[in-house]
Amino acid sequence: MQSKEIHVRLIKRLKEGDKSALLGLYDAYSKALYGVVVRICDREDVAQDVLQESFVKIWQKIHTYDPDKGRFYTWAYRIAKNTALNAIRKRSALIQTDDLSVYNHKTADLPKDYSELNGVLKKLEPHHQRAIELVYFKGLTHREAHEEMEVPLGTFKSYVRQALLQLKEVYPKQLLLLLLFEMMGNG
Amino acid sequence: MDKKKILEDGLLEQYLLGELDDKTLQMVEIAIAGDSDLRAHFDLLEADFERIAFENAVDPPLSVRQGLETQVSEMNEEKHLRSLSNSRPNTSFWFAASIAALMAFGAAWIYNQWRASEENLKTLETQTAALQERLSKLEENYEETNNRYQQINNPNVVPLVLVGNSKSPSSRATAYVNHQTKEVILNTKGLSALDEEHTYQMWADVAGEMINMGVLSNNRDYVLLRYIEDAESLNITIEPVGGNDHPTVENLISNVVL
Repeated sequence: MQSKEIHVRLIKRLKEGDKSALLGLYDAYSKALYGVVVRICDREDVAQDVLQESFVKIWQKIHTYDPDKGRFYTWAYRIAKNTALNAIRKRSALIQTDDLSVYNHKTADLPKDYSELNGVLKKLEPHHQRAIELVYFKGLTHREAHEEMEVPLGTFKSYVRQALLQLKEVYPKQLLLLLLFEMMGNG
Repeated sequence: MDKKKILEDGLLEQYLLGELDDKTLQMVEIAIAGDSDLRAHFDLLEADFERIAFENAVDPPLSVRQGLETQVSEMNEEKHLRSLSNSRPNTSFWFAASIAALMAFGAAWIYNQWRASEENLKTLETQTAALQERLSKLEENYEETNNRYQQINNPNVVPLVLVGNSKSPSSRATAYVNHQTKEVILNTKGLSALDEEHTYQMWADVAGEMINMGVLSNNRDYVLLRYIEDAESLNITIEPVGGNDHPTVENLISNVVL
Protein backbone atom coordinates (compact mmCIF):
# COMPACT_ATOMS: atom_id res chain seq x y z
CA MET A 1 0.00 0.00 0.00
CA GLN A 2 2.86 2.27 0.90
CA SER A 3 4.63 1.75 -2.41
CA LYS A 4 1.33 2.23 -4.24
CA GLU A 5 0.93 5.63 -2.59
CA ILE A 6 4.49 6.51 -3.51
CA HIS A 7 3.77 5.61 -7.11
CA VAL A 8 0.61 7.71 -7.09
CA ARG A 9 2.66 10.65 -5.84
CA LEU A 10 5.30 10.02 -8.51
CA ILE A 11 2.63 10.02 -11.21
CA LYS A 12 1.19 13.26 -9.84
CA ARG A 13 4.63 14.88 -9.80
CA LEU A 14 5.34 13.68 -13.33
CA LYS A 15 2.07 15.19 -14.50
CA GLU A 16 3.26 18.44 -12.91
CA GLY A 17 6.43 18.27 -15.01
CA ASP A 18 8.87 16.94 -12.40
CA LYS A 19 11.52 15.06 -14.41
CA SER A 20 12.91 13.24 -11.38
CA ALA A 21 9.52 11.56 -10.92
CA LEU A 22 10.05 9.80 -14.26
CA LEU A 23 13.22 8.19 -12.94
CA GLY A 24 11.30 7.17 -9.80
CA LEU A 25 8.70 5.44 -11.96
CA TYR A 26 11.48 3.94 -14.04
CA ASP A 27 13.01 2.43 -10.95
CA ALA A 28 9.61 1.03 -9.96
CA TYR A 29 8.43 -0.40 -13.28
CA SER A 30 11.37 -0.74 -15.69
CA LYS A 31 12.22 -4.32 -14.72
CA ALA A 32 8.68 -5.59 -15.27
CA LEU A 33 8.39 -3.71 -18.56
CA TYR A 34 11.84 -4.79 -19.71
CA GLY A 35 10.82 -8.39 -19.02
CA VAL A 36 8.02 -7.93 -21.53
CA VAL A 37 9.87 -5.96 -24.24
CA VAL A 38 12.97 -8.13 -24.23
CA ARG A 39 10.77 -11.15 -24.91
CA ILE A 40 8.89 -9.33 -27.70
CA CYS A 41 12.04 -7.97 -29.35
CA ASP A 42 14.27 -11.03 -28.87
CA ARG A 43 17.32 -8.77 -28.97
CA GLU A 44 18.61 -7.01 -25.91
CA ASP A 45 20.04 -3.95 -27.72
CA VAL A 46 16.69 -3.36 -29.44
CA ALA A 47 14.82 -4.01 -26.19
CA GLN A 48 16.96 -1.47 -24.35
CA ASP A 49 16.20 1.21 -26.94
CA VAL A 50 12.54 0.27 -26.75
CA LEU A 51 12.52 0.55 -22.96
CA GLN A 52 14.13 3.99 -23.07
CA GLU A 53 11.76 5.15 -25.82
CA SER A 54 8.80 3.80 -23.86
CA PHE A 55 9.68 5.87 -20.80
CA VAL A 56 10.15 8.98 -22.95
CA LYS A 57 6.63 8.35 -24.29
CA ILE A 58 5.36 7.84 -20.74
CA TRP A 59 6.86 11.24 -19.87
CA GLN A 60 5.33 12.90 -22.91
CA LYS A 61 1.90 11.28 -22.60
CA ILE A 62 1.46 11.17 -18.84
CA HIS A 63 -1.30 13.80 -19.06
CA THR A 64 -3.43 11.23 -20.92
CA TYR A 65 -3.19 8.64 -18.16
CA ASP A 66 -6.46 8.35 -16.25
CA PRO A 67 -6.15 6.34 -12.99
CA ASP A 68 -9.91 5.76 -12.99
CA LYS A 69 -9.52 3.61 -16.11
CA GLY A 70 -6.85 1.32 -14.76
CA ARG A 71 -3.48 0.82 -13.16
CA PHE A 72 -0.44 2.83 -14.24
CA TYR A 73 1.38 -0.38 -15.02
CA THR A 74 -1.36 -1.52 -17.44
CA TRP A 75 -1.15 1.85 -19.22
CA ALA A 76 2.66 1.74 -19.33
CA TYR A 77 2.57 -1.90 -20.51
CA ARG A 78 0.43 -0.94 -23.54
CA ILE A 79 2.91 1.82 -24.45
CA ALA A 80 5.92 -0.48 -24.09
CA LYS A 81 4.28 -3.31 -26.04
CA ASN A 82 3.32 -1.04 -28.96
CA THR A 83 6.78 0.55 -29.00
CA ALA A 84 8.38 -2.90 -29.10
CA LEU A 85 6.08 -4.12 -31.88
CA ASN A 86 6.83 -1.00 -33.94
CA ALA A 87 10.55 -1.49 -33.41
CA ILE A 88 10.56 -5.07 -34.67
CA ARG A 89 8.35 -4.11 -37.63
CA LYS A 90 10.85 -1.40 -38.60
CA ARG A 91 13.70 -3.84 -38.10
CA SER A 92 12.03 -6.40 -40.33
CA ALA A 93 11.51 -3.78 -43.01
CA LEU A 94 15.16 -2.71 -42.82
CA ILE A 95 16.44 -6.26 -43.02
CA GLN A 96 14.25 -6.69 -46.14
CA THR A 97 14.04 -10.38 -45.82
CA ASP A 98 11.65 -12.34 -47.98
CA ASP A 99 9.70 -13.22 -44.94
CA LEU A 100 8.35 -9.97 -43.51
CA SER A 101 6.10 -11.70 -41.04
CA VAL A 102 6.82 -9.96 -37.77
CA TYR A 103 5.07 -12.55 -35.77
CA ASN A 104 6.92 -15.51 -37.17
CA HIS A 105 10.05 -13.64 -36.30
CA LYS A 106 8.83 -13.11 -32.75
CA THR A 107 8.48 -16.79 -32.12
CA ALA A 108 12.15 -17.33 -32.74
CA ASP A 109 14.11 -18.68 -29.78
CA LEU A 110 15.13 -16.13 -27.18
CA PRO A 111 18.33 -16.13 -25.17
CA LYS A 112 18.02 -18.82 -22.59
CA ASP A 113 17.64 -16.46 -19.66
CA TYR A 114 14.46 -14.90 -21.03
CA SER A 115 12.83 -17.80 -22.83
CA GLU A 116 11.58 -19.41 -19.69
CA LEU A 117 8.77 -17.90 -17.70
CA ASN A 118 8.92 -17.70 -13.98
CA GLY A 119 6.58 -17.50 -11.05
CA VAL A 120 3.11 -18.93 -10.96
CA LEU A 121 3.01 -19.25 -14.73
CA LYS A 122 5.28 -22.26 -14.35
CA LYS A 123 2.57 -23.95 -12.33
CA LEU A 124 0.05 -23.68 -15.17
CA GLU A 125 -0.56 -26.40 -17.70
CA PRO A 126 1.69 -25.93 -20.76
CA HIS A 127 -1.08 -24.82 -23.14
CA HIS A 128 -2.38 -22.29 -20.59
CA GLN A 129 1.13 -21.05 -19.98
CA ARG A 130 1.70 -20.76 -23.73
CA ALA A 131 -1.54 -18.82 -24.23
CA ILE A 132 -0.53 -16.21 -21.63
CA GLU A 133 2.99 -16.08 -22.99
CA LEU A 134 1.82 -15.37 -26.54
CA VAL A 135 -0.62 -12.57 -25.72
CA TYR A 136 1.32 -11.02 -22.85
CA PHE A 137 5.01 -11.63 -23.48
CA LYS A 138 5.00 -11.85 -27.25
CA GLY A 139 2.52 -9.10 -28.01
CA LEU A 140 0.34 -11.24 -30.25
CA THR A 141 -3.34 -10.48 -30.55
CA HIS A 142 -5.85 -13.19 -29.66
CA ARG A 143 -6.41 -13.79 -33.40
CA GLU A 144 -2.70 -14.14 -34.11
CA ALA A 145 -2.10 -16.27 -31.04
CA HIS A 146 -4.81 -18.84 -31.80
CA GLU A 147 -3.25 -19.34 -35.25
CA GLU A 148 0.14 -19.68 -33.62
CA MET A 149 -1.23 -22.37 -31.30
CA GLU A 150 -3.24 -23.88 -34.15
CA VAL A 151 -6.47 -23.95 -32.15
CA PRO A 152 -9.82 -22.24 -32.85
CA LEU A 153 -10.18 -18.67 -31.55
CA GLY A 154 -12.91 -19.71 -29.07
CA THR A 155 -10.67 -22.46 -27.70
CA PHE A 156 -7.80 -20.03 -27.36
CA LYS A 157 -9.97 -17.54 -25.47
CA SER A 158 -11.02 -20.29 -23.09
CA TYR A 159 -7.32 -21.18 -22.56
CA VAL A 160 -6.68 -17.58 -21.47
CA ARG A 161 -9.71 -17.51 -19.18
CA GLN A 162 -8.81 -20.86 -17.62
CA ALA A 163 -5.21 -19.73 -17.13
CA LEU A 164 -6.41 -16.60 -15.35
CA LEU A 165 -8.78 -18.62 -13.17
CA GLN A 166 -5.93 -20.88 -12.17
CA LEU A 167 -3.81 -17.84 -11.34
CA LYS A 168 -6.57 -16.57 -9.07
CA GLU A 169 -6.52 -19.88 -7.26
CA VAL A 170 -2.73 -20.05 -6.97
CA TYR A 171 -2.08 -16.48 -5.84
CA PRO A 172 -4.22 -16.54 -2.68
CA LYS A 173 -2.52 -19.79 -1.63
CA GLN A 174 0.87 -18.24 -2.22
CA LEU A 175 -0.10 -15.20 -0.17
CA LEU A 176 -1.29 -17.49 2.63
CA LEU A 177 2.01 -19.38 2.57
CA LEU A 178 3.95 -16.13 2.64
CA LEU A 179 1.97 -14.95 5.63
CA LEU A 180 2.55 -18.27 7.43
CA PHE A 181 6.31 -18.05 6.75
CA GLU A 182 6.39 -14.50 8.04
CA MET A 183 4.45 -15.46 11.19
CA MET A 184 6.74 -18.43 11.80
CA GLY A 185 9.74 -16.24 11.24
CA ASN A 186 8.44 -13.64 13.67
CA GLY A 187 7.50 -16.34 16.13
CA MET B 1 -22.56 -3.67 -23.89
CA ASP B 2 -23.72 -6.91 -22.26
CA LYS B 3 -21.56 -7.93 -19.28
CA LYS B 4 -21.85 -11.63 -20.10
CA LYS B 5 -20.63 -11.03 -23.63
CA ILE B 6 -17.70 -8.97 -22.37
CA LEU B 7 -16.64 -11.71 -20.00
CA GLU B 8 -17.21 -14.64 -22.39
CA ASP B 9 -15.56 -13.00 -25.38
CA GLY B 10 -12.50 -12.18 -23.31
CA LEU B 11 -12.95 -8.46 -24.03
CA LEU B 12 -11.59 -7.50 -20.62
CA GLU B 13 -8.33 -9.32 -21.38
CA GLN B 14 -8.15 -7.78 -24.83
CA TYR B 15 -8.90 -4.34 -23.35
CA LEU B 16 -6.08 -4.79 -20.86
CA LEU B 17 -3.68 -5.90 -23.58
CA GLY B 18 -4.64 -2.93 -25.78
CA GLU B 19 -6.02 -5.07 -28.61
CA LEU B 20 -9.46 -3.47 -29.02
CA ASP B 21 -10.51 -1.08 -31.76
CA ASP B 22 -11.62 2.40 -30.64
CA LYS B 23 -15.34 1.66 -30.82
CA THR B 24 -15.19 -1.57 -28.77
CA LEU B 25 -12.72 0.03 -26.39
CA GLN B 26 -15.12 2.86 -25.62
CA MET B 27 -17.99 0.43 -25.07
CA VAL B 28 -15.90 -1.68 -22.68
CA GLU B 29 -14.73 1.41 -20.78
CA ILE B 30 -18.32 2.57 -20.36
CA ALA B 31 -19.37 -0.91 -19.22
CA ILE B 32 -16.54 -1.09 -16.66
CA ALA B 33 -17.31 2.38 -15.34
CA GLY B 34 -20.99 1.51 -14.93
CA ASP B 35 -20.74 -1.98 -13.47
CA SER B 36 -18.94 -2.58 -10.18
CA ASP B 37 -18.80 -6.35 -10.74
CA LEU B 38 -17.12 -5.86 -14.10
CA ARG B 39 -14.82 -3.30 -12.51
CA ALA B 40 -13.84 -5.86 -9.86
CA HIS B 41 -13.13 -8.44 -12.55
CA PHE B 42 -10.93 -5.99 -14.38
CA ASP B 43 -9.10 -4.95 -11.20
CA LEU B 44 -8.25 -8.59 -10.49
CA LEU B 45 -7.15 -9.11 -14.07
CA GLU B 46 -4.84 -6.10 -13.90
CA ALA B 47 -3.42 -7.29 -10.60
CA ASP B 48 -2.77 -10.78 -12.00
CA PHE B 49 -1.08 -9.54 -15.14
CA GLU B 50 1.02 -7.07 -13.19
CA ARG B 51 2.05 -9.82 -10.81
CA ILE B 52 3.03 -12.07 -13.72
CA ALA B 53 5.07 -9.22 -15.17
CA PHE B 54 6.92 -8.63 -11.92
CA GLU B 55 7.54 -12.36 -11.52
CA ASN B 56 9.12 -12.34 -14.96
CA ALA B 57 10.93 -9.02 -14.59
CA VAL B 58 14.39 -8.64 -16.11
CA ASP B 59 16.95 -6.10 -14.96
CA PRO B 60 17.76 -3.67 -17.76
CA PRO B 61 21.36 -2.43 -17.89
CA LEU B 62 22.09 0.81 -16.04
CA SER B 63 22.94 2.46 -19.36
CA VAL B 64 19.21 2.57 -20.22
CA ARG B 65 18.43 4.63 -17.14
CA GLN B 66 21.38 6.93 -17.84
CA GLY B 67 20.33 7.24 -21.48
CA LEU B 68 16.80 8.11 -20.42
CA GLU B 69 18.04 10.73 -17.99
CA THR B 70 20.26 12.33 -20.66
CA GLN B 71 17.54 12.22 -23.29
CA VAL B 72 14.95 13.80 -21.02
CA SER B 73 17.41 16.52 -19.97
CA GLU B 74 18.22 17.29 -23.60
CA MET B 75 14.56 17.36 -24.53
CA ASN B 76 13.86 19.62 -21.59
CA GLU B 77 16.63 21.94 -22.70
CA GLU B 78 15.39 21.97 -26.28
CA LYS B 79 11.90 22.71 -25.02
CA HIS B 80 13.28 25.49 -22.84
CA LEU B 81 15.30 26.91 -25.72
CA ARG B 82 12.29 26.71 -28.00
CA SER B 83 10.15 28.55 -25.49
CA LEU B 84 12.94 31.11 -25.03
CA SER B 85 13.36 31.59 -28.76
CA ASN B 86 9.62 31.90 -29.10
CA SER B 87 9.23 34.38 -26.28
CA ARG B 88 12.45 36.37 -26.66
CA PRO B 89 13.69 37.04 -30.17
CA ASN B 90 17.51 37.10 -30.50
CA THR B 91 19.80 39.95 -31.53
CA SER B 92 19.68 38.96 -35.19
CA PHE B 93 15.93 39.18 -35.06
CA TRP B 94 16.03 42.68 -33.59
CA PHE B 95 18.68 43.74 -36.10
CA ALA B 96 16.61 42.39 -38.99
CA ALA B 97 13.48 43.97 -37.52
CA SER B 98 15.25 47.33 -37.18
CA ILE B 99 16.47 47.20 -40.77
CA ALA B 100 13.00 46.24 -41.92
CA ALA B 101 11.46 49.09 -39.90
CA LEU B 102 14.00 51.58 -41.29
CA MET B 103 13.35 50.36 -44.81
CA ALA B 104 9.61 50.61 -44.26
CA PHE B 105 10.01 54.13 -42.83
CA GLY B 106 12.31 55.11 -45.72
CA ALA B 107 9.92 53.71 -48.27
CA ALA B 108 7.01 55.58 -46.67
CA TRP B 109 9.04 58.83 -46.64
CA ILE B 110 10.05 58.39 -50.28
CA TYR B 111 6.46 57.59 -51.20
CA ASN B 112 5.22 60.74 -49.44
CA GLN B 113 7.90 62.79 -51.13
CA TRP B 114 6.98 61.35 -54.47
CA ARG B 115 3.29 62.05 -53.87
CA ALA B 116 4.08 65.63 -52.81
CA SER B 117 6.31 66.08 -55.87
CA GLU B 118 3.62 64.69 -58.09
CA GLU B 119 1.07 67.11 -56.62
CA ASN B 120 3.52 70.00 -57.03
CA LEU B 121 4.12 68.96 -60.60
CA LYS B 122 0.39 68.86 -61.28
CA THR B 123 -0.01 72.32 -59.75
CA LEU B 124 2.91 73.59 -61.80
CA GLU B 125 1.44 72.07 -64.92
CA THR B 126 -1.91 73.74 -64.21
CA GLN B 127 -0.20 77.05 -63.47
CA THR B 128 1.92 76.74 -66.60
CA ALA B 129 -1.16 76.05 -68.71
CA ALA B 130 -2.90 79.09 -67.15
CA LEU B 131 0.18 81.20 -67.75
CA GLN B 132 0.42 80.01 -71.33
CA GLU B 133 -3.23 80.87 -71.82
CA ARG B 134 -2.71 84.32 -70.34
CA LEU B 135 0.40 84.78 -72.41
CA SER B 136 -1.37 83.87 -75.62
CA LYS B 137 -4.20 86.24 -74.68
CA LEU B 138 -1.68 88.95 -73.93
CA GLU B 139 0.01 88.24 -77.23
CA GLU B 140 -3.33 88.49 -78.98
CA ASN B 141 -4.12 91.71 -77.13
CA TYR B 142 -0.71 93.07 -77.88
CA GLU B 143 -1.05 92.20 -81.53
CA GLU B 144 -4.50 93.73 -81.65
CA THR B 145 -3.33 96.84 -79.79
CA ASN B 146 -0.28 97.09 -81.97
CA ASN B 147 -2.44 96.74 -85.06
CA ARG B 148 -4.72 99.47 -83.83
CA TYR B 149 -1.74 101.61 -82.96
CA GLN B 150 -0.32 101.07 -86.39
CA GLN B 151 -3.70 101.79 -87.92
CA ILE B 152 -4.16 104.94 -85.91
CA ASN B 153 -0.63 106.29 -86.03
CA ASN B 154 -0.14 105.61 -89.66
CA PRO B 155 0.90 108.84 -91.50
CA ASN B 156 -1.88 108.17 -94.01
CA VAL B 157 -4.52 108.18 -91.30
CA VAL B 158 -6.66 111.29 -90.83
CA PRO B 159 -8.08 111.61 -87.31
CA LEU B 160 -11.45 113.33 -87.10
CA VAL B 161 -13.30 114.32 -83.92
CA LEU B 162 -17.07 114.09 -83.90
CA VAL B 163 -18.59 116.37 -81.25
CA GLY B 164 -22.16 115.95 -80.09
CA ASN B 165 -24.73 118.60 -80.96
CA SER B 166 -27.57 119.89 -78.80
CA LYS B 167 -29.26 116.46 -78.93
CA SER B 168 -26.26 114.87 -77.26
CA PRO B 169 -23.96 117.64 -76.19
CA SER B 170 -21.64 115.48 -74.09
CA SER B 171 -20.97 112.90 -76.82
CA ARG B 172 -17.57 112.64 -78.36
CA ALA B 173 -16.19 110.18 -80.92
CA THR B 174 -12.94 109.99 -82.88
CA ALA B 175 -12.74 108.58 -86.37
CA TYR B 176 -9.50 107.47 -88.01
CA VAL B 177 -9.77 107.38 -91.78
CA ASN B 178 -7.09 105.87 -93.99
CA HIS B 179 -7.77 106.64 -97.62
CA GLN B 180 -4.88 104.48 -98.75
CA THR B 181 -5.92 101.26 -97.04
CA LYS B 182 -9.55 102.28 -97.16
CA GLU B 183 -10.17 101.69 -93.50
CA VAL B 184 -12.29 103.60 -91.01
CA ILE B 185 -11.87 103.07 -87.28
CA LEU B 186 -14.03 104.74 -84.70
CA ASN B 187 -13.53 105.17 -80.96
CA THR B 188 -16.98 105.31 -79.40
CA LYS B 189 -15.91 105.55 -75.78
CA GLY B 190 -17.08 109.12 -75.54
CA LEU B 191 -20.64 108.57 -76.81
CA SER B 192 -23.41 109.04 -74.27
CA ALA B 193 -25.20 105.87 -73.15
CA LEU B 194 -28.53 105.04 -74.86
CA ASP B 195 -31.55 103.09 -73.69
CA GLU B 196 -31.84 99.41 -74.59
CA GLU B 197 -34.10 100.11 -77.60
CA HIS B 198 -31.70 102.46 -79.44
CA THR B 199 -28.25 102.41 -80.97
CA TYR B 200 -25.86 104.80 -82.76
CA GLN B 201 -25.36 104.36 -86.50
CA MET B 202 -22.70 105.96 -88.79
CA TRP B 203 -23.43 107.29 -92.25
CA ALA B 204 -21.28 108.65 -95.10
CA ASP B 205 -22.64 111.52 -97.16
CA VAL B 206 -21.83 110.91 -100.84
CA ALA B 207 -23.24 113.51 -103.17
CA GLY B 208 -26.16 114.18 -100.84
CA GLU B 209 -26.95 110.51 -100.24
CA MET B 210 -26.42 109.02 -96.81
CA ILE B 211 -24.76 105.59 -97.08
CA ASN B 212 -24.69 103.18 -94.14
CA MET B 213 -21.23 102.66 -92.64
CA GLY B 214 -22.35 100.44 -89.75
CA VAL B 215 -24.03 100.25 -86.36
CA LEU B 216 -21.95 101.53 -83.47
CA SER B 217 -21.62 99.81 -80.18
CA ASN B 218 -20.96 102.57 -77.72
CA ASN B 219 -18.35 102.47 -75.03
CA ARG B 220 -15.85 100.75 -77.30
CA ASP B 221 -12.49 102.15 -78.27
CA TYR B 222 -12.21 100.31 -81.53
CA VAL B 223 -15.01 99.83 -84.05
CA LEU B 224 -14.09 98.98 -87.60
CA LEU B 225 -16.47 100.53 -90.15
CA ARG B 226 -17.05 100.33 -93.88
CA TYR B 227 -14.96 102.76 -95.94
CA ILE B 228 -17.14 104.65 -98.40
CA GLU B 229 -15.49 106.12 -101.50
CA ASP B 230 -15.97 109.80 -102.19
CA ALA B 231 -17.59 110.47 -98.84
CA GLU B 232 -17.91 114.13 -98.07
CA SER B 233 -18.81 113.90 -94.43
CA LEU B 234 -19.32 111.39 -91.61
CA ASN B 235 -22.56 111.45 -89.62
CA ILE B 236 -23.84 109.76 -86.46
CA THR B 237 -27.56 109.26 -85.83
CA ILE B 238 -29.59 107.55 -83.13
CA GLU B 239 -31.55 104.64 -84.61
CA PRO B 240 -33.68 101.74 -83.33
CA VAL B 241 -31.67 98.67 -82.11
CA GLY B 242 -30.35 96.71 -85.08
CA GLY B 243 -29.85 99.77 -87.21
CA ASN B 244 -31.85 101.46 -89.97
CA ASP B 245 -31.82 101.43 -93.76
CA HIS B 246 -32.10 105.19 -93.91
CA PRO B 247 -30.89 107.72 -91.42
CA THR B 248 -33.33 109.43 -89.11
CA VAL B 249 -32.08 112.94 -89.83
CA GLU B 250 -33.82 114.54 -86.88
CA ASN B 251 -31.78 112.21 -84.65
CA LEU B 252 -28.42 113.35 -86.05
CA ILE B 253 -26.16 114.00 -83.08
CA SER B 254 -22.81 114.71 -84.77
CA ASN B 255 -21.11 115.13 -88.13
CA VAL B 256 -17.72 116.06 -89.51
CA VAL B 257 -16.62 117.12 -92.96
CA LEU B 258 -13.86 115.12 -94.62
